[in-house]
Amino acid sequence: MLSQFDYVKPLVLNEALAALAKEDNSYVLAGGTDLLIMLRHNLINARHIIDIKGIPELNELRFVENEGLTIGANVVVNTLIDSELVKNKYKALHDAASCLASFQLRNRATLVGNICNASPGADLPPALLVYDAVVKIASVDGVREIPLVEFFTGVKKTVLTKNELVLSVFLPDPGENDTSCYLRQTRLKGHDLSTVGVACRLDGKGKVAVAIGAVAPTPLRLTALEAEINEKGISEETILWAADAINEHIKPISDVRSSEAYRRHMASILMKRCLVTLTGKEV
Amino acid sequence: MTVAELKNDGKACAMDTAHVSSSRDLRVVIDLIVNGERVIEEVEPNMLLLHFLRDKLKLFGAKESCGEGECGACTVLMNGYAVTSCLVLAVEANGAEILTVEGLSKGNELSILQQEFIFQDALQCGFCTPGMLMSARGLLDKNPNPTDEEIREAMAGNLCRCTGYLQIFDAVKRAAEREREEREE
Repeated sequence: MLSQFDYVKPLVLNEALAALAKEDNSYVLAGGTDLLIMLRHNLINARHIIDIKGIPELNELRFVENEGLTIGANVVVNTLIDSELVKNKYKALHDAASCLASFQLRNRATLVGNICNASPGADLPPALLVYDAVVKIASVDGVREIPLVEFFTGVKKTVLTKNELVLSVFLPDPGENDTSCYLRQTRLKGHDLSTVGVACRLDGKGKVAVAIGAVAPTPLRLTALEAEINEKGISEETILWAADAINEHIKPISDVRSSEAYRRHMASILMKRCLVTLTGKEV
Repeated sequence: MTVAELKNDGKACAMDTAHVSSSRDLRVVIDLIVNGERVIEEVEPNMLLLHFLRDKLKLFGAKESCGEGECGACTVLMNGYAVTSCLVLAVEANGAEILTVEGLSKGNELSILQQEFIFQDALQCGFCTPGMLMSARGLLDKNPNPTDEEIREAMAGNLCRCTGYLQIFDAVKRAAEREREEREE
């Protein structure tokens, strides 16, 4: 039995924001695939549940040429997987979404929920980070936008305050000739959080972007490593160098999923595989 | 509005929002379709859809096993999509259409999908079977012509300790074929 809470399902955004601001111990419910597990284990003391699925503007999944893709807070992961646009324009996001949990969970789980849960091992953040995602956040005091790279502050911690709600995640239009991929290692072939997950992007100008999950308290965008890769230029030597160098930029721990040493090893392997996948070079 | 009032009000229909019945208790009235029949009930907001189906409606097909969306034994269709009912609140199903394994057969005549689970020996203890059937139903309703990989992906959220999955895969694949044949007739 879950602890007792009341439940509201506002049909307009302002009502939801007012409800969030009014009471402590209020929690936002969209897909509920993380929230209900936290409730089940009494990890949170929720007294008020605010279901945002009745708010139409949060259902938005819209791409504007030369601007980008807006993914509203109610957009579930299977919708992203089914989107040809996401597959063509943001391949790493398609890849990451495809390996998130099971089919049933993806019918409920939302992308915005995945980032708000802020698990260090979540699959979607690395893919979003290489696309310079921006998070749009609202409260009764107004709207603010912050880059996703500044959104995570620790294990299961974000910059969100108690009365804030994430409206959407925005990914700028990557333009032409942009490719990316997300590769991950898990303990078993099936549903598990990643042991290590690497997203890599090669943009239209030939610049590389790299982000990685499950090797630090937060998902990381490895800008220093990217700069060095881009300075060296993509070659077989650079790929092998990057596979080694990635270990200077991560801080993995040993836990139930993997030892630190294995995480370091896999980060290196996945870095190499990502660059090989994107460049078609053989190493 | 109380349940009694709602039930007596012929004009009442599925509502967008759950209505809090009084300020003192937290119970809400939900109005939904379960296996084709309209259901109006009062529930606590913290009641899971799974427990609503089992405890209130006495539909014991959906099983509780892991309780965390890992095993798929509680899978039902919600507005046509397979979901793990242990991770859905009953109040969230307000206004929704729910299909459970009890809604698959026509009277005593098993559906093609159910028949194929028997023909292909796709069950042993049977505990996972309702969830398996609902995941398969959700797939075939959206995608009547799935590839082998699509079948595996749709069924991968349902665990089975008995069969080793091959017969389950065969049953879904064969059911898809028979359902296509039936539509073409």
